[in-house]
Amino acid sequence: MARTTTSRRGFVSSLANGLMTIPAAAVYAGLTVVPVGFAVYYSFTRYNGIPSQPPTWVGFENYARVIQDPIGDLRPAVVVTTLIAVVGAFLVNGAALALALLLRRTTPFNTFARVVMFYPHVLSALIVGFLWQAILGPQGAVNNLLESRGTSSLPFLADPDWALATLIVVIVWAQFGVQLVLYLAGLQAVSPELQEAARLDGAGSVQVFRHVTWPALAPTVTVTIVTSVLSLLKVYDVVLGLTNGGPGDATQTWAYEILAVSFANNKVGLACAQAVLLVLVAGILSFTIIALRRRAEEGAEAVG
Amino acid sequence: MSTSFRRRARGAVALGFVPVLALAACSSGDASAETDDGSVRMLVNITDNLTQAKWEELVLPFEEESGIDVKIEGPSGQSVSESFPALLAAGTAPDVIESIVPGPDTAPELLDLTEHEWASGTPMADLYSTDGTINVVGVGMQEQSLMYYNADLFEEAGITEPPATWDEFDAALAALDSAGVATPVAFASDWATGVQIQQIWHPQQNLTTPGWQQSVADGSSTLGDQFQPVFEHVADWVEAGYTTADDVATDTGTQEANFIAGEVGIYPMGSWFSTTLAASPPDFEVGVFAPPVDDAADAPGPMGATIAFPYMVWKGTANPDGATALVEYLVTDDAAIAKQAEMDSFSREGLEPSDNEYAGLVQELSDSAPSYVVPGNQTVGDYALPVAGFNPKFTELAQGLWQGRSPADVAADLTAWYETEKRG
Repeated sequence: MARTTTSRRGFVSSLANGLMTIPAAAVYAGLTVVPVGFAVYYSFTRYNGIPSQPPTWVGFENYARVIQDPIGDLRPAVVVTTLIAVVGAFLVNGAALALALLLRRTTPFNTFARVVMFYPHVLSALIVGFLWQAILGPQGAVNNLLESRGTSSLPFLADPDWALATLIVVIVWAQFGVQLVLYLAGLQAVSPELQEAARLDGAGSVQVFRHVTWPALAPTVTVTIVTSVLSLLKVYDVVLGLTNGGPGDATQTWAYEILAVSFANNKVGLACAQAVLLVLVAGILSFTIIALRRRAEEGAEAVG
Repeated sequence: MSTSFRRRARGAVALGFVPVLALAACSSGDASAETDDGSVRMLVNITDNLTQAKWEELVLPFEEESGIDVKIEGPSGQSVSESFPALLAAGTAPDVIESIVPGPDTAPELLDLTEHEWASGTPMADLYSTDGTINVVGVGMQEQSLMYYNADLFEEAGITEPPATWDEFDAALAALDSAGVATPVAFASDWATGVQIQQIWHPQQNLTTPGWQQSVADGSSTLGDQFQPVFEHVADWVEAGYTTADDVATDTGTQEANFIAGEVGIYPMGSWFSTTLAASPPDFEVGVFAPPVDDAADAPGPMGATIAFPYMVWKGTANPDGATALVEYLVTDDAAIAKQAEMDSFSREGLEPSDNEYAGLVQELSDSAPSYVVPGNQTVGDYALPVAGFNPKFTELAQGLWQGRSPADVAADLTAWYETEKRG
């Protein structure tokens, strides 16, 4: 009898716990699974997004167009996006880790500095783009200053290579705040005893970082790399505000191509095919990074 | 079952239903039900000249007379052209749409206004109708092919007459450059680069190939062939340093300020720039001339022009009579037309001369044009190119001229783009 009561209580408990997940599951399904499902469906259709003109099933036609890229519009965008993701991820993580090491101790100045460093992330990405356009544009603050000193202006946004480099730097400036917070949290979790022990054993600061702090940070590094790469892959708003994809197509990203070109021309089917491929690439990259980082994380467990 | 378990289970079930209930509450089976109160929603372009307050003032007499409440809405996206299809997709399209013309996708969603007698009498109704069907009406015409110039700088450079031919135009640019003018001819970034090049090219293009859009559409000409000559002119100006890569990274607002500050010799732009000039009059004399043509005997060539204040009515509106009455008021009422002319300059037969001296210059030039032609970026009517997104792609490719790309390559890419888009 007692066993029956316990078993029933366990069942009810499990049922209650299961029911408790329904709100989150419903929100997730409604806001993520259903839209992605629709995107996958539309990617196999010719559709202009207007409900009274229903989609026409075209099979893999949209994917064939994306892969063949007959007018060479997506390929440059993929190259630009790859550069932003790779170079940006290195810069974001490098800057965030360096600053986190500088600001790890809790002092009034460091607390203030952390807020300042995080602040760019609070700003709308579009505002960030417009702000830096006003600073770095041909008649922006920096070039006006240079010209007033008799120096020739710099083509931050006028030359394709400069514009891409400028875009990456601005994106890094706007995004590294989150990674900084993650690294600060990760550093708090590094055992002070281990670091102290290493110092007592005669290790210098660099050696302590290399052999104790860095391995212990491995799980944090994985998270920051994955999150930064994912956000860099879908960068759009900053591009819109800073360069609007120009000059020419020099700073058009994959997301820009989807949102400002395909969707803007009512090519919802093509845009969805481009978006589905971006989601796939993001997923493959994330799992690859996680797999590659597994060994380093095992080392962290050993250090921990 | 303990009380706490029952409470948790009930709470969980209730929580599970919250999103479902919320979704049900937020969704609406009939999007047009929003205007069942008899009001009319109008999506408009909001700019420095066309402010929300000015739109409200414009429709106020109509509201007072008809008792219909008009709700003015700005674009939810970057522009009306981007917002309208998105609102259609969301099922929340406005009743009246201003500032854009129908495209291949949106045309079936619009009310046919042909049966209304007043519609056929509106300016440019013939150029913007497709096979005689009118689904967009406007109040006048905005001239596109205009070259604003700084007359003081022209005088300093020894230019006695505005150029009429390409040779004279090149000579004028060389003279301005020699006189030390910072920017002999100014182009701007984003949409403006493409629009400005087309504005310059309308007259000669339509002299060489009248109805060129139809020639491209029927395959007797290519888009690249149509624009390669003007690309060659622009490439020559870039090479000579009359315009630099900085220009196409500078927004129109800044470039217009540069013109007003006296740093620009020639600024190609539409008639709406005259409103900006009137708001901030420069301390030098401004002139306007028609873009160059090959032969002086053909000058001035056909004037590129677009419909001013285009209005369309959504077919799905819950209040078609109210929406149509509003559009009729906006395009036929004399006071409403005069108010719109104050908001953004345009030409219209019989319209009282404007106090705006710059608009007067534009009107004078417009009156001398032998004919009016619609530009390539117009997506409606018998002269529409059968593809969407022409100007953004044209701009993207044309900006390559400032990065050293050859006119032939840019023209070839334009043709390739058109052929791909035409296939769908």
